[in-house]
Amino acid sequence: MTVQLEKLILGANAFEGVSYIARSQSAHYLEYFAKEDNVLAVIEAAYNVGVRGLTCSNTANVMGALVKFPKIKELKVYPVIPNAYEYAMEASEKGILGAVLSKAKGFSMYQKFKFGLRALTKIKSVLTKDVMDLLLELLHFEMASFEKLNLGGVILHGQLTDMALTSHNPDILAIFQEVIRDSFGIEPLLATHNFGVLLPQLMEWKIKIPIMTALNSKGFMMKPSKEECEQLVRESGYQILAKKVLAGGRLTPEEAFPYLLDKKVDGVVVGIGSVPEAYHTFTVAKKILKV
Amino acid sequence: MNDAKKIRVAVIGLGKLGILHTAVVNMVPQAELVAMADVNKQLAKYIEQAGLKAPFYSDTDKMLAEVGPDAVVICTPAFANLSVVRACLARGTDIFIEKPLAHTLADAKTMAGLAAARPMVNATGYLFAHMNLFKTAKRLIDEGLVGPLARVRSAVYTSEVFSKKKGWYYDAEKSGGGAVINIASHLLYILYWFFGPARSVFARTRRIYSDVEDAATALLEFPNDLQGTLDVSWSVPGYRLPFTEIHVEGDNGTIEITNDYIKLYLYKAHRGYPKEWTTIHKIDLGSKSRFEIGAEGLYEEDQDFIERCLDRGRPAVTWADGLEVQRMVEAIYRSAERKILVATGDLA
Repeated sequence: MTVQLEKLILGANAFEGVSYIARSQSAHYLEYFAKEDNVLAVIEAAYNVGVRGLTCSNTANVMGALVKFPKIKELKVYPVIPNAYEYAMEASEKGILGAVLSKAKGFSMYQKFKFGLRALTKIKSVLTKDVMDLLLELLHFEMASFEKLNLGGVILHGQLTDMALTSHNPDILAIFQEVIRDSFGIEPLLATHNFGVLLPQLMEWKIKIPIMTALNSKGFMMKPSKEECEQLVRESGYQILAKKVLAGGRLTPEEAFPYLLDKKVDGVVVGIGSVPEAYHTFTVAKKILKV
Repeated sequence: MNDAKKIRVAVIGLGKLGILHTAVVNMVPQAELVAMADVNKQLAKYIEQAGLKAPFYSDTDKMLAEVGPDAVVICTPAFANLSVVRACLARGTDIFIEKPLAHTLADAKTMAGLAAARPMVNATGYLFAHMNLFKTAKRLIDEGLVGPLARVRSAVYTSEVFSKKKGWYYDAEKSGGGAVINIASHLLYILYWFFGPARSVFARTRRIYSDVEDAATALLEFPNDLQGTLDVSWSVPGYRLPFTEIHVEGDNGTIEITNDYIKLYLYKAHRGYPKEWTTIHKIDLGSKSRFEIGAEGLYEEDQDFIERCLDRGRPAVTWADGLEVQRMVEAIYRSAERKILVATGDLA
């Protein structure tokens, strides 16, 4: 199954205060993007340069900005679920299971019945019903924030994808794939921080699904190695959505985008920290990548 | 190293870090995850049903007897560590234990003593030792780039506690304390690794929201008359992840080390580095890790332990190192409680 991916997609890392360069930049992002109007201004700038895609988690500032964005219907949103940072913060107090269960409490019996039964008829899994129910509840809880948006696909957070990978059990990823398709009628994608380890495993499991992975000339976040990742991008035949193309901010757009010219990628996600940066980065990307 | 042999590993304690270590062990080629153990039976139900191949035990002794792992990764709450260690040592396993070694200095001393009396591989979880950026910073300091050292200022902050929280982590009887033992112990390890064990400590701690300290400030004296400061808080807004910073001043300049970069200012060019500013970004240094999950350095940390189990070498961070950190933690608590300067030698 293939996903119709936007060629250029705005990423939301900066909106969530993520910087790989310096704590001072992270602090600036946290303060600046706490105001949803500043998030909105970057979304509008990207839109004005022709960007029609956005990846994001259900953070309040981004969701608030999207409500205000007048062209929202023209924007394909690719939710990244779950909001892993939120769970990680709760986990030190409640434990991982406690953090997960507290989120899952928000569903009515009707929702559990409706979603759970329908998915269970489709999925032949070794997972028992308790675990299945929990996964279903979490997926629906996370998706509730996005239900009125124009969704282009749903991306499983890299931490979750990679945790599922380490279990050596294909069922968790297969369930994610089936539930997203069955319950929401949308195509799923997997984010990963370990592309070169994940992809051979997916091929062995016969799970064909688009992957969002780091791809840059510095090899930043390309595990197990830049060379192995590049070979898989070239030869695997999987749909690839490239992220971290600016190597966490260590490459300029002019330095970064030529690297992607000979790579078989279907789309590129770039996080942006200001309005001028949005105009500059996406203008350069369009010119070099000819999109 | 014998590449054919795999170390059979059990993970004990399946909280946040236990689950991460389970994931990592499952990906280290020289390791085979053979069992998981946790006293939480509700957690057991979900883990057991999630299709993992390794069996789950709610009784550690039973797991050790039935499975007989070569090595264990212990991630139990700090107050439980010593009893779990004793049970594992009785079975002759090699042991990695998450930091801190224990909730008290007395337990940590006992553990270090037990380890010293046996030909076992013992490691503990101060994962900065496995990060390329911090290894590079130590090399630059050791090479004398900034000359003889005079002062070091250090801090670690995170936005984690803004109300009274529940759980063993926030109970001094079970965790040993608050922000110092749980957060600043990583920074204390780096200071110990870079400069040696502190000789004396004068400290103040502060409770803001918790029954344990939420913040602390300490003056530390290291070997060679190096003076240092440490500041820690887990109740500062704007730090979505723990952020560590160390500023070292020497006769030939300064070196600033953070999670993201090393920044040099040299009065004279030295060892290929120019006069005045040089910034070395973490991204530019790259990483040799072939897998990454949870935190940078975690894979290298477990891989180091597993490889040492195979070649019987010394892991990067041993329990003897962990005991030195625990001594500095105890000195901070004792100084703050009694409002006196504490010589760490008095805690030997």
